[in-house]
Amino acid sequence: MHDVIASYFPVLVFGVIAVGIAGAMLGGSLLAGHQKPYAEKTSAYECGFEAFDDARRRFDVRFYLVAILFIIFDLEVAFLFPWAVSLSHVGLFGFLSMLGFLGMLTVGFIYEWCKGALDWD
Amino acid sequence: MTHDLGGVGLGPYLTVSAILLVLGVFGIFLNRKNIIIILMSMELILLSANLNFVAFSSALGDLSGQVFTLFVLTIAAAEAAIGLAIVTVFFRNRGSIQVEDVTMMKG
Amino acid sequence: MTALVFYVFATILVLSATMVISARNPVHSVLFLILGFFNAAGLFLLAGAEFLAMLLIIVYVGAVAVLFLFVVMMLDIRVSEAREGLQRYAPFGAAVGAVLFAELILAFGHWRIAPAIDAVPHLGQAAGETNTAALGDLIYTHYVLLFQACGLVLLVAMIGAIVLTLRERPTGRRQDIERQHARTVADTLELRRLPLGRSVRELGGFARPTSYSEAAAKGSYDPHAPVLSDESRGE
Repeated sequence: MHDVIASYFPVLVFGVIAVGIAGAMLGGSLLAGHQKPYAEKTSAYECGFEAFDDARRRFDVRFYLVAILFIIFDLEVAFLFPWAVSLSHVGLFGFLSMLGFLGMLTVGFIYEWCKGALDWD
Repeated sequence: MTHDLGGVGLGPYLTVSAILLVLGVFGIFLNRKNIIIILMSMELILLSANLNFVAFSSALGDLSGQVFTLFVLTIAAAEAAIGLAIVTVFFRNRGSIQVEDVTMMKG
Repeated sequence: MTALVFYVFATILVLSATMVISARNPVHSVLFLILGFFNAAGLFLLAGAEFLAMLLIIVYVGAVAVLFLFVVMMLDIRVSEAREGLQRYAPFGAAVGAVLFAELILAFGHWRIAPAIDAVPHLGQAAGETNTAALGDLIYTHYVLLFQACGLVLLVAMIGAIVLTLRERPTGRRQDIERQHARTVADTLELRRLPLGRSVRELGGFARPTSYSEAAAKGSYDPHAPVLSDESRGE
């Protein structure tokens, strides 16, 4: 068998078992539960009267800023992974190049810290 | 060390990459209602380029393709983030992200 | 057998890419994009690029697709938009797509890898070395300038994101931790010795609290600001 497929076969087994267990739980509740929906039971609860509007709110853009900063630092960590396993091969030059990269991102980090992007109140 | 590309050789990989590129371009064309679909089509185009790089890197046994894919991935993620930030701010100011409404810079 | 795995991944990838551009609900589009990325990661795995496959899942699905989902859900996009643009532009778009596809197939079909390719020095993977370590050997030495450029791109993205989305909002009174830690007993506690039958008030009152201007955290109290309740009484 192809060596890549052979070495990732346990991952496939894991995935199939996970999907199987989740599907069995959902399917079991589908089969074994009473299903008698009617209009009042399936409508949204709004303290007794009809809901006025959609449940969506104007969002606060601070959540979005947190997500963007997560992407940036996730990419930084993604660059740190190969460096961590190959540092013995690349020696001092590799170390210094990564220090330069981290230094640039630290400048950005200090900027956002002092701007108050990390505050949450 | 060259892998055998999933047992199928280089051709099918390049075909899949071409199909993804065409679908991405088509998605930018087709889309009239939503700027976010345009950004997702751009992600599809970048994915097709990445697939191309990886396929050739594996066929030639040269890791440069994968290094470049890593950089393309970084750029694509940063660009998606900023593109969505622009869309968000635009929506905050204008209230709509229909493609037809984005006409402020029309000459 | 292994070709079957490739074709399964490739078919689901192409189908989910089609659904991305043609789903009505943008949330469905994002979910199909996530499915497509998973299958693309599978294709990367088959080609031997293990680190990139995992990176695709961690960064693209875990961060970028979540960001898409975030924006799609929070911007309150109505699902039932008119699709009259489809009839006008679909034939033109299909023609352009078909031409592009034909060009690509021509280019790939006539592709001949140069016969002297083995003379070019290859940056290959040493036997027994993992893909991640082999990539690490290259990125920080051979491609160091590209790597630093990536760092610059990330820095610019960070600054751009903050400039675009950070808004100054007036906050209430905040804690000032250093000030709180620097409080001493003399600042907080005052003991007065009262003769029998006298009150503190007739002896001059307590010294603390002093006026609000002195006791408040710096910048958070403005004694001359109009009190809102007085104005709204309509006098």
